[in-house]
Amino acid sequence: MNPAELPATTLSRRSLLLGGAALGGSFLLSGCIGGSQTPAASSAPSDTATTLTLQSSLSDPKPKAALDSIVKGYTKYPTTLNTVAIEQFRAQLPTYLTSANPPDVLTWYAGSVARDYASKGLLLDLSDMWTGDGACAKFSAPLKALSSDESGKQIFVPTSYYWWSIFYRKSAFEEWGVQPPTSWDEFMTLLDTLKGKGIAPLTNGTGSTPWMASGWFDYLDLRINGAAFHRDLLAGKHSFDSAEVRKVMDTYATLVPYFDPKGRSYSWQEAATPLVNKKAGMYLIGAFVTQAFPASAVKDVDFFSVPAIDPAIPSAEEAPTDGYFASAKSKNVTGAKDLLSYLASPAQQQAYIEGSGSSNLPTSPDVDSSKFSPLVLKGIKLLQETKEITQFFNRDSSDALQTTADTALTKFLDKPRDVAKILKDWQTAAQQVWNS
Amino acid sequence: MTTVTLAPATPAVAAGPRKPKRSWVFHAVMAPVTLLWVLPLAFVIMVAVRNFDDIASNGLGTWPKSFTLQAFRTAWVDGQLGGALRNSVVVTVCTVIAVLFLSSLAAFALSRYHIPAGRAILLLMLAGNLLPPQILLIPVAKICELIGIYDTLLALVVVQVGFGMGFFTFVLYGFMRSLPYEMFEAAKIDGAGDLRIYATIVLPLCRPALAALAALESTWVFNDLLWTLTVLRTDAKFPITASLLNLQGGYTTSWNVVAAGALIAAVPTTIVFFAFQRHFVSGLLVGANK
Amino acid sequence: MSTAETAARSSTTGPPRSSISAGQRRRRFGRRSVTRRVPPVVWALLLVPLLVELAWVFWPAFNSFQLSFTKWSGVGVAEPVGLKNYRTLLYDPIFHTAITNNVIWIVAFGGLSVVIGLALAVALNKPRRGVGAYRSGIYLPMVFSLAVTGLFWRVLYQPDGPINAILAAIGIDTGQHQWLADPNTALAAILVAALWRQAGYIMVLYLAGLKGCDPTLEEAAAVDGASWSQRFRYIVFPQLRNVNTVIFAVTVIDSLRTFDIVWAMTRGGPYNSTQLLSTYMYQVGFTQVNLGYGSAIAVVIFLLAIAFIITYLVRATREE
Repeated sequence: MNPAELPATTLSRRSLLLGGAALGGSFLLSGCIGGSQTPAASSAPSDTATTLTLQSSLSDPKPKAALDSIVKGYTKYPTTLNTVAIEQFRAQLPTYLTSANPPDVLTWYAGSVARDYASKGLLLDLSDMWTGDGACAKFSAPLKALSSDESGKQIFVPTSYYWWSIFYRKSAFEEWGVQPPTSWDEFMTLLDTLKGKGIAPLTNGTGSTPWMASGWFDYLDLRINGAAFHRDLLAGKHSFDSAEVRKVMDTYATLVPYFDPKGRSYSWQEAATPLVNKKAGMYLIGAFVTQAFPASAVKDVDFFSVPAIDPAIPSAEEAPTDGYFASAKSKNVTGAKDLLSYLASPAQQQAYIEGSGSSNLPTSPDVDSSKFSPLVLKGIKLLQETKEITQFFNRDSSDALQTTADTALTKFLDKPRDVAKILKDWQTAAQQVWNS
Repeated sequence: MTTVTLAPATPAVAAGPRKPKRSWVFHAVMAPVTLLWVLPLAFVIMVAVRNFDDIASNGLGTWPKSFTLQAFRTAWVDGQLGGALRNSVVVTVCTVIAVLFLSSLAAFALSRYHIPAGRAILLLMLAGNLLPPQILLIPVAKICELIGIYDTLLALVVVQVGFGMGFFTFVLYGFMRSLPYEMFEAAKIDGAGDLRIYATIVLPLCRPALAALAALESTWVFNDLLWTLTVLRTDAKFPITASLLNLQGGYTTSWNVVAAGALIAAVPTTIVFFAFQRHFVSGLLVGANK
Repeated sequence: MSTAETAARSSTTGPPRSSISAGQRRRRFGRRSVTRRVPPVVWALLLVPLLVELAWVFWPAFNSFQLSFTKWSGVGVAEPVGLKNYRTLLYDPIFHTAITNNVIWIVAFGGLSVVIGLALAVALNKPRRGVGAYRSGIYLPMVFSLAVTGLFWRVLYQPDGPINAILAAIGIDTGQHQWLADPNTALAAILVAALWRQAGYIMVLYLAGLKGCDPTLEEAAAVDGASWSQRFRYIVFPQLRNVNTVIFAVTVIDSLRTFDIVWAMTRGGPYNSTQLLSTYMYQVGFTQVNLGYGSAIAVVIFLLAIAFIITYLVRATREE
């Protein structure tokens, strides 16, 4: 179909040259017009807009509905609530924060990400909300520390948090004739008892939610090496290839035979199904597990804390904290702070917790706790009595380190005997993260 | 055989009387194969008509123990699928028209005129389609902001047009090449200008190909997720793929609602396929007969 | 009476010219299928689309190319690091896995989708009772997006899910195999899901191509005693050349850009055994927010794609 009469080689050489010139020209052009990545020098915060945008990553049906009705109840400024699924929200977060017209308030967690963005000047200084009669002034000291950046300014408003523990169904334990254990030895005996009855003693969803494997890792590290070591490990001050971590992995290895093998294919939510229908015994997970239960069974849920392994180590629990931060480039700073005060107020915290059907705890001490379920009250007591609180692997370290943990731990769950090589590879990958 | 056939070829006449045995074998093979093909879709429908508690208690892999259309209602209302569908249709229609229009212009220029380095330009345009879209996400978002169209449906249309153009130029180039030269000669003798030739001769002849490509591109644009989340921020402007994603929570997923939403989202593309099926089959024909 | 009709009429009622093959005609009258002189308006017709593509595809691509020589987390200034990202890539075991998987994917997904699509098209070409229903059934998977497809196939593959149940029902006991959690079977399992969707699409493209094949040639060969496979190889297949070029381009593009379905099914797991270059790039660039490194991976994907397509297409377009 090609009518070309000229020798093909001449044509192609010429066209290649011309094509190359065109390509080069376009590159030069784009270079000149400037693909500068740095945002333009930001002007001082000012109130040029009279509306607010709240960018939310809470796409679960009930929390979304709860936040929706809370936002509708806020009348001071017209506020738009946008919800974007969490993974995409995370991917777009840099774009949101560096945009010339960013969302004013965003949902997120306390921890490394917030501090990282604060150090780059992208988050609004909210310290005045934590002093005097600001909305967060009465929040506890650990919460304030969690919400501060490296320079001591507060850049985050926590509005709810939850605890991690070993959850089980009371009626199931009764049926099987067993009791929640109070020591590690009792716990191991319980595992054997349940296995003997043909029940999967532990369930965990490490398939499409591989970060669940870090739950056990975190807790075993907290119980064996203590919270201080754990925090330092996640900050890169200890090696994953160290003897202490090896001790954690050896204990983890003793648990591996007791996990439901199908958990490797499940998400955390699918792994809750065996717990619901009594085919599995216990699940180390956050209190959000109650969202996966049918409404009728939620009252049957109970928990016990991971038993102490070394009595010399002070108690520690994981309590991830959720909340909001505001963009430093917001066009309505007064409005943003006002919205944050509203969201942090006791009435709205309570409304959110009730509306979202979660077992989350409020951060405000003024919320009326008489309406809480016994489960939640027990959770509050657990966190009040514990000596140390950490967040979770990724929130304490970084998302990048979390992916190294996912790889290492899921591989370990498949092949516990390769632990030496796995730890070495983990340290190499972690080193990459620290260096980058 | 040597004249250019512009109409679809007549279907082949079966050679000889149809042997009943062969027909039986054909169905015995194709029916189970097709059934197997359709099974996953049947599964999605099964999930969509269960209620949440049934799935939570019994898992997804079991036969349904409940039947309800509540999931569809939830998906439509809570997922704002109605608005999302409207956004999807608007974006898809605008993109398809724009990209086919621009591609046909470029293909016309490249195929019928001696453009220096024409082939290199064609390959350059096609190369654009080879780039993994993920690397373009953040720069594209920044460009949209610079121009001021960030968070608008227009940005989504423009980005999709830019990204799809290379491939369609390439395909249309192939077709236009094979159009008989006599037509151009005759038109030029009649005194028609280049644009007139394009509009009155080339475009009508390419209509079957354009229809097939329109169906193809509309499926691609309709099902796109990545560009959507890059250039749009306000969820009221989301097309249906992004809204579907929001139905999956960060903590729990109501599988029945997600399934119902997926089925609703599949309706427009199904309609497009069946409507364009006639063109699909004959569309790539122009140029295949020499 | 439109210009098109006039033109069509003059071409089919002209002198014996129509009995000469197109190639012969061109040789006799020289390079007249393209107009030598290019009017400015035609330049405009080409430049507008070209500029759109340059602005929206190549400019961002160049930015990303620049980014691959830096260290950037999406905010603040991108810190130039020279070739460090590429050097890291060279020793990155996950990158090696991803490249291997990508090659396997291109060959298996690309090759099998074409073979299956062609086989289905040939089988369903002749009009018969029910052939429309079969065609529609096989094309139907295309109406779902890839992300939705991946999501539901992941559920199908669960150890106590429908696939193991069906296999058990027909007598193959897989022991509740965990298809997506086993690094040995995960990629193959994703491949099945991807082929399920793609085959119908290739089938439709081939159906279109087959419709354009002249049946009389095939009948003549059959009368001459040629077997079915000989008829296919020497008569039918060569007539599919045009369609084959399109399908090749489509297949390579789709294979290299596969992302949604793998991401939805395994996120590149279990422990990176199903990583493709595109999923690894997404993980590095957006989950780990290491955009410099992610851009380096993207540049590699692009170079791979360029190598593939350019060599084939330059050869193909030169042949014409």
